[in-house]
Amino acid sequence: MAAAPDHLFNLRNNFYLGSYQAAINNSDLPNLSPDDAVERDCLVYRSYIALGSYQLVINEIDSSAPTPLQAVKLLALYLSNPHDKESTISSLKEWLADPAIGNNAILRLIAGIIFMHEEDYNEALKHTNAGGTMELHALNVQIFIKMHRSDYAEKQLRVMQQVDEDHTLTQLANAWFNLAVGGSKIQEAYLIFQDFSEKYPMTGLILNGKAVCCMHMGNFDEAETLLLEALNKDAKDPETLANLVVCSLHLGKSSSRYLSQLKLTHPEHILVKRASSAEDSFERAVQSVA
Amino acid sequence: MLTKFETKSNRVKGLSFHTKRPWILASLHSGVIQLWDYRMGTLIDRFDEHDGPVRGVHFHMSQPLFVSGGDDYKIKVWNYKLHRCLFTLLGHLDYIRTVQFHHEHPWIVSASDDQTIRVWNWQSRTCISVLTGHNHYVMCASFHPKDDLVVSASLDQTVRVWDIGSLKKKTASPSDDILRLSQMNTDLFGGVDAVVKYVLEGHDRGVNWAAFHPTLPLIVSGADDRQVKLWRTNDTKAWEVDTLRGHTNNVSCVMFLAKQDIIVSNSEDKSIRVWDGTKRTGLQTFRREHDRFWILAAHPEMNLLAAGHDSGMIVFKLEKERPAFAVSGDSLFYAKDRFLRYYEFSTQKEVQLIPIRRPGSTSLNQSPRTLSYSPTENAVLICSDVDGGTYELYVMPKDSSGRGDSLQEAKKGPGSSAIFVARNRFAVLDKGNNQVLIKNLKNEVVKKSGLPVPADAIFYAGTGNLLCRSEDRVVLFDLQQRLVLGDLQTPFVKYVVWSNDMESVALLSKHTIVITNKKLVHQCTFHETIRVKSGAWDDNGIFIYTTLNHIKYCLPNGDSGIIRTLDVPIYITKVSGNTIFSLDRDGKNKTIVIDATEYIFKLSLLRKRFDHVMSMIRNSQLCGEAMIAYLQQKGFPEVALHFVKDEKTRFNLALESGNIQIAVASAKEIDDKDHWYRLGVEALRQGNAGIVEYAYQRTKNFERLSFLYLINGNLEKLSKMLKIAEVKNDVMGQFHNALYLGDIQERVKILENAGHLPLAYIAASVHGLKDVAERLAAELGDDVPPLPEGKEPSLLMPPAPVMCGGDWPLLRVVKGIFDGGLDSIGRDAVDEEEGAEGDWGEDLDMVDVDGLQNGDVTAILEDGDVAEENEEEGGWDLDDLELPSEAETPRISVNAHSSVFVVPTPGMPVSQIWIQRSSLAADHAAAGNFETSMRLLNRQLGIRNFTPLKSMFLDLHTGSHSYLRAFSSAPVVSLAVERGWSESASPNVRGPPALVFNFSQLDEKLKAGYKATTAGKFTEALRLFLNILHTIPLIVVESRREVDEVKELIIIAKEYVLGLQMELKRREMKENLVRQQELAAYFTHCNLQLPHLRLALLNAMTVCYKAKNLATAANFARRLLETNPTNESHAKTARQVLQAAERNMTDASQLNYDFRNPFVTCGATYVPIYRGQKDVSCPYCTTRFVQSQEGQLCAVCDLAVVGADASGLLCSPSQIR
Repeated sequence: MAAAPDHLFNLRNNFYLGSYQAAINNSDLPNLSPDDAVERDCLVYRSYIALGSYQLVINEIDSSAPTPLQAVKLLALYLSNPHDKESTISSLKEWLADPAIGNNAILRLIAGIIFMHEEDYNEALKHTNAGGTMELHALNVQIFIKMHRSDYAEKQLRVMQQVDEDHTLTQLANAWFNLAVGGSKIQEAYLIFQDFSEKYPMTGLILNGKAVCCMHMGNFDEAETLLLEALNKDAKDPETLANLVVCSLHLGKSSSRYLSQLKLTHPEHILVKRASSAEDSFERAVQSVA
Repeated sequence: MLTKFETKSNRVKGLSFHTKRPWILASLHSGVIQLWDYRMGTLIDRFDEHDGPVRGVHFHMSQPLFVSGGDDYKIKVWNYKLHRCLFTLLGHLDYIRTVQFHHEHPWIVSASDDQTIRVWNWQSRTCISVLTGHNHYVMCASFHPKDDLVVSASLDQTVRVWDIGSLKKKTASPSDDILRLSQMNTDLFGGVDAVVKYVLEGHDRGVNWAAFHPTLPLIVSGADDRQVKLWRTNDTKAWEVDTLRGHTNNVSCVMFLAKQDIIVSNSEDKSIRVWDGTKRTGLQTFRREHDRFWILAAHPEMNLLAAGHDSGMIVFKLEKERPAFAVSGDSLFYAKDRFLRYYEFSTQKEVQLIPIRRPGSTSLNQSPRTLSYSPTENAVLICSDVDGGTYELYVMPKDSSGRGDSLQEAKKGPGSSAIFVARNRFAVLDKGNNQVLIKNLKNEVVKKSGLPVPADAIFYAGTGNLLCRSEDRVVLFDLQQRLVLGDLQTPFVKYVVWSNDMESVALLSKHTIVITNKKLVHQCTFHETIRVKSGAWDDNGIFIYTTLNHIKYCLPNGDSGIIRTLDVPIYITKVSGNTIFSLDRDGKNKTIVIDATEYIFKLSLLRKRFDHVMSMIRNSQLCGEAMIAYLQQKGFPEVALHFVKDEKTRFNLALESGNIQIAVASAKEIDDKDHWYRLGVEALRQGNAGIVEYAYQRTKNFERLSFLYLINGNLEKLSKMLKIAEVKNDVMGQFHNALYLGDIQERVKILENAGHLPLAYIAASVHGLKDVAERLAAELGDDVPPLPEGKEPSLLMPPAPVMCGGDWPLLRVVKGIFDGGLDSIGRDAVDEEEGAEGDWGEDLDMVDVDGLQNGDVTAILEDGDVAEENEEEGGWDLDDLELPSEAETPRISVNAHSSVFVVPTPGMPVSQIWIQRSSLAADHAAAGNFETSMRLLNRQLGIRNFTPLKSMFLDLHTGSHSYLRAFSSAPVVSLAVERGWSESASPNVRGPPALVFNFSQLDEKLKAGYKATTAGKFTEALRLFLNILHTIPLIVVESRREVDEVKELIIIAKEYVLGLQMELKRREMKENLVRQQELAAYFTHCNLQLPHLRLALLNAMTVCYKAKNLATAANFARRLLETNPTNESHAKTARQVLQAAERNMTDASQLNYDFRNPFVTCGATYVPIYRGQKDVSCPYCTTRFVQSQEGQLCAVCDLAVVGADASGLLCSPSQIR
């Protein structure tokens, strides 16, 4: 099993752990095989997407680029234009139906992500459940968690662990799963994020992960410290803001500043949506009870 | 066998270890006695006075003495300090085989071929006893370590034990010695003072050696019958216990090693054998190729052995003595005896944790070698050399106090090194295949990874990394990436010590320490002449290490030094401040307090922390030649200055550091020419003309002084110099000065006076001094020299100085970091250069600019190239595009297969579970099921107005989920936060939602409300108490007791809300005096805290008094006084009101207030409801109302409907159970 050194290791890690800028900055790797180079480009462009630079991705990937990059471009298109999702989805479906490229792992992954955004988990799983790459498995874990089917999520996790238990994605997926099932597993999730924080530079993602674990363990003070540290790194990170709202509420502090900030920068965030729908349902409930 | 030292020499017949020092005596067949330092490996001394072989030698326990006996029949007693033989004991009539000091008495026992054993008193230098009975050569005789016994072995095939108890009595008074001598002669044959106690017969040939067991009644003997025999004795008899067979030739020496329960023997068969003392089986055999063994010696205190053979001797150990340990934060885990133990540094507490495998006594060196601890798993890996290297994995029970003595079945595996590399992961080296196996705690292989170099040991190197050691290098290897991160050539590394922050690592070899950073980049190397044993990093990044006999430090810059010496080797486990924690060879924890001043000082110096340096200079005794030399060598002469008292050194240091003031002061003290001269040179360099002048003056160096004045333009002083020269009759000096001054008259005069008339004439005429020239021409007569022709004469005049006198612009020198600015040395150096080369600055800059531009241009060019290349690569990518997709086509089958996959139906969201599980309103609200929540509240508390509760509902709902960004760009995962989390909660079992409100928050609000009331901020207080009332419906508590507390809180809050509402209402009604008084009066009947009640009473009293309702006011005053008001002025007012009222007990106006009749106040109309009157109450806050209010919204809590049906507050799961 003495495989060749993995040139993309750091790049992937940076990407998975949310240090997108580091991933972009350190992407200039020499002597990559063509396959690796495509993967590298995918990761770089996906990092740009994660940073919100959709237009850059759309502009830089031209029609001659290989399928995986086209798929990435599709994701950028989808996310950049919330009003015209249909055309993106239809071209996505078209590609998926094409037997020559329909089986491309990245394409399937992007399909999974897009259909997840559409909350069409059936469609998403149709393309991702076969797995094939760690990323697809990890995405599956997340889909199953979203569907509240932790039993299926666990199965996917086992598959990942069999392939490579120490893989960053396996560890991450394990943490997600642990958080989803709760109980004593929360502590394990915390330890996983703790490991990451010792091994790699701190990112907002790791800090948020730790903070969420702390909140679930009832330790809101530590969670707040971690979240404020994350806020220092990126003052606009939606998850940091959302978690800060929750954390402040539990600490009996005012959460309105974070909430309005979140509403301003990420009006589509699930917390904002939940809050507004809760307001509606409150009014409805008052009507019905009265 | 661990050989520590070896010598080559003639045959070694006798050996003896020194008790304290690392010395060993070897007596040789050639007659020489050698004294070796086995630690340093040097020959210290040799003693050559015996004639013929020396067979016996022995150190005295405490005196600087040793004894030797040889084939010249002589016993010699030596003093090794004086390097000479003190005296010789004569008496034996044949070769002497062994000699030994008694551990207590001034006795020597000797065995001789004359068939006798003799006991000597080395103080009186006489023989005090002759032990006869053997009828052949006596090969060995020795005292018992405690009892009054001697054991001897003889070629007559017997071992004899002698009782010398009576000898002791005889020596009670030393003056008897002379007397005894005569007596001895009578005793010579069949003496009574030493009698044979036992004769041990059993060997078939001559016995070469016999030795006592140090504590047990056992004797071991070795004989020419090739056997080792074990004997046991009791008070009356002795018998043979066992025979150890194995040697193939004469056994020459044998002894017990009680500590390890073994017997060691050596033989002419060229082997040393180790036997188990209990099982009496052979454990190990060490052979030599050509040399027969003759003698063995054991160190009296340490686990060291020595053996003499045909061509020298060896000093060796049988087992490693380093205890296996691992440090983790404040904890130390180590193996001692058969237990894993735990030690806490901060409390210095020791606990025995778990028993570990019993070392099978099949061979030696089976004890744990290394130990690795994983704090997250609370597990240890113990590696030992059993079966060619095995590891054992123990998981410690959670409660470490429960130290069950039962042996936990450890998970085992082969592999010489095993270490934890991450949580739930450890790496095991598989040497055969040159790979590491990554295993989990179940001991299952998770991964295998080939190693980049043939490694024979692995060490921890941070999470997921390994340090692999091969013969001459170490490699830092990342297990996940399978990448070599660093590579360093080093001597054979034995131990690896990481600094606390994992930034630096020390690689310990036998004689070297290499320090590198975490990427294995070499920083410095230290060489030691003696063995390096252990080390640890202190908090400042200084590496503290031990050798066999020293504790030393090394600084990051490569400096090192000794901290203190050690008597016995220790293994440092941790350094904390100036305390060193260590383990000794017996596995005992020791703390050593050291003086850290020296290395901290050096470190501060190194880091340029001059404030520290300064305070250390002030506060500690640091001076000394070594420190000064160090400072000088490291370029800190100005620091050294502060240490030095000796003026010459001080002067030198001052010059070196350019501190001219101190140099002047020192020079004055020293006052010798050389120093003044050197001061002058330095002052000149700095441009300090004043000092230069002073220095020249002091040395009377007029020529230099003149020249100085010349270049200084100080003409005044220059002319003084001229005069001085004149006075001193120094013609040449005079002339020079005149020349400098451009004073031609003077010059001519000097020349004339000196008798150089032609020169004077020429000078005069050339410079146009006609009168003088004529006069001189007259004097010269015919000898008037011709004037040089074709030359334009000109007078040399000193140029007008740019500035006169004083100092030149001074060079900026280090002006004592300690006197002024604590600038860094580096900057000062730069300043110095700038001062000297100011003019060059611009030119240099120009060059720089050019260079930069060039650089830019090439950079741009390069960029262009790269871009082009990238494009080309892009082209290639296109070509390659087809390949990957083709490669993936076979996967379609997988896809087809997956069509069977049925998407599972979505599971139940956690919030749904909450709704199903709970009948608490708060839980429903958190789950977002507001309707049910409201219905519950309506049913339980009669609440109908939910508007005030809106923000509570929303906050509860918002606070029930946290958010986790999982996969990049995929939608975020929201996770239900549950309350009451505990470590032991089982996963997948849903707890109730975590609520953002809790009882303790309300408690705080209550306090805030009280405070606001006290401060008179009634609106604020009202808001707080109302908030409490509005939060309580959505609160959840655990126990019944807390439920009661909540209910109490409702009442408290209600009373305050009612009271405050009335008070605010009163303030609105300025006109209606009667109503004002009534409301103030009702307020005093709310259930308030005592201080608030007092205020309410005071208020009511004032209002009533002002309205001339004196009787009512008096009532309030009385009630106020009954509360024993703390505020004296209040009490005084109350008393005054009482007095006023007593004079006139009337009320001006009639109030609806009868304080004698108990009542409650209606929450809406604020009228008293006296006992017995009908009323209705709020189902939630229990405020009472007049009946007309039934069906209205409660005016106090603003939530519930007055008089509605309700089942009561439900705020705890314990109420439902």
